[in-house]
Amino acid sequence: MQEAAIDYESFFLEHSVVPFKLTTPYHGIPGKGSAFKIMFEIAKALNVKACAVVDSDLRSIMPGWIDLLIRPVLKAGFDYVAPLYHRHKYDGTITNSIVYPLTRALYGKRIRQPIGGEFGFSGKLAKFYLTKDVWESDVARFGIDIWMTTTAIANNFKICQSFLGAKLHDPKDPGKDLSEMLYQVVGAAFDLVETYSDAWKQTGASEAVPTFGFQYAVGLEPISVDVDRMIEKFRLGVKELMDIWAKVLPEETAAFLQKIVERDKEEFHIADEIWADIIYNFAIAWHKKTVSREHLLKSLTPLYIGKTASFVIENRDSDAYAVEEKIEQLCKVFENKKTFLAEKWQ
Amino acid sequence: MNLLEMSIAEPFRRFFDKAMIFLPNLFMAVLILITGIVLGIILKSLFLKAFGEIGIDKFFGRLGAGEMMKKGGVQEPVSALLSKLIGWLTALIFAGIALSTIEIPAVEKLVDKLTHYMPSIVIALAILFIGYLVGNFLGRAALIASVNAGIKLSGLIGKAVRFTILMLSATMALEQLGIGKETVIIAFAIIFGGAVLALAIAFGLAGKDIAKEFLEKKIKGEEKKDEIEHL
Repeated sequence: MQEAAIDYESFFLEHSVVPFKLTTPYHGIPGKGSAFKIMFEIAKALNVKACAVVDSDLRSIMPGWIDLLIRPVLKAGFDYVAPLYHRHKYDGTITNSIVYPLTRALYGKRIRQPIGGEFGFSGKLAKFYLTKDVWESDVARFGIDIWMTTTAIANNFKICQSFLGAKLHDPKDPGKDLSEMLYQVVGAAFDLVETYSDAWKQTGASEAVPTFGFQYAVGLEPISVDVDRMIEKFRLGVKELMDIWAKVLPEETAAFLQKIVERDKEEFHIADEIWADIIYNFAIAWHKKTVSREHLLKSLTPLYIGKTASFVIENRDSDAYAVEEKIEQLCKVFENKKTFLAEKWQ
Repeated sequence: MNLLEMSIAEPFRRFFDKAMIFLPNLFMAVLILITGIVLGIILKSLFLKAFGEIGIDKFFGRLGAGEMMKKGGVQEPVSALLSKLIGWLTALIFAGIALSTIEIPAVEKLVDKLTHYMPSIVIALAILFIGYLVGNFLGRAALIASVNAGIKLSGLIGKAVRFTILMLSATMALEQLGIGKETVIIAFAIIFGGAVLALAIAFGLAGKDIAKEFLEKKIKGEEKKDEIEHL
């Protein structure tokens, strides 16, 4: 019995010491999306059944990740596998405050990490991605992750998620501009809201998606956050950019923003309802081209920083479960206010 | 030829001869003028429709032209103004042709001068308009970028960018009109150079501590940044 439980063959596994590398010449917009396009082309040329992609700066990647991203496609017939991680409560703020609530409310699938960076997909889906003419847009850069996820959901491909454990990666590049990142990701998400307006208008309440992998608790590295500086940037935004926001936001939201700058740090709080209003109104302004699109989304940066500061203050003493509960509440607010977006979307 | 014929009939005859030459020209001029007015009205409504189709008001609205016009008390949309301008220009061109048909030397001279000056006025107006739009657009871009960078003087930076472009376009427009060519360019150079020098001195004197702090940070290393991973 004891002998049967030990798999002696695993001791004699042979690993190649020479990694297999394939490089291709590339001309076009440099970015993650452009690199993915090459992966899709290769997948199509080789007629693969399943394919997985992972970020290049991962520290916590394990061999099991590939299995978790590929197996649902090969064995269970799924077309798209999104990652599911345990992350620090302050990490992934664009995901938690914008992309996840928006994707979930509009397309009705609770994919917790729609822009996670690691994905598994079927050969069929790779071929479908290649039929889309998006490779000269922001999809070619930071927008690729949300584009892959939304395209898969809105075109009724079979979706699931796999729990990969903790996501740890190399320290971020300090030169990476937050407003540029926000512009590309949120711009790609708003573009998709436009592309799939018929699909999301017909989608009802959200539902959970099948999840693979054994979920376990993980240790996470602490994160330092300077809330004072964040609030300062938000205040500067309210002082200087209100003229632009006033064209986009309802009067009461603009009045609230004017009022909140006078509050002390401990009372600094942007409610979920206000935040959902802001995002939906920015989506409508994007659609109606009320303001230059680049100016619109770049002016969102101080508001996003303000919301992040509010989130950090609110959850300073909360554990991961309590934080997840707060994100759940935000998602419900986005779902409840979806009718407002549909009404204004003409 | 008797005296009566010479003193009365001859001027009448001359007048009649001149009138016979002048009246067809006048008739032709009126006809050309009416054609111009009708064509102007047709073109105005055609362009108004075309501008509506391509959404020109939205485009100029995004560039801040709508705001500019409202501030100036103009309530009409850009599409209406542009189509009116096209209509008027058409009528004016035809009016010019009509006047030259009459063949009166003084009028011909005046029309000639106006015709030669008209393109310069149109180009100068276009330069001013484009300058205003570009100034607004880049001023707002500079404002947003400096707010996102956390610069306290963002408002001033945005305004400075806008003002510089407006001044540049005004200089170009005046140069196009040929008004005080050298004076305008020299004045622009003096004002622009003076502004840059004033800023340099202001930064040098008032910002020496900030500069010191900045250099210290660069040499000794930056203060600890937020470690949040946004994506």
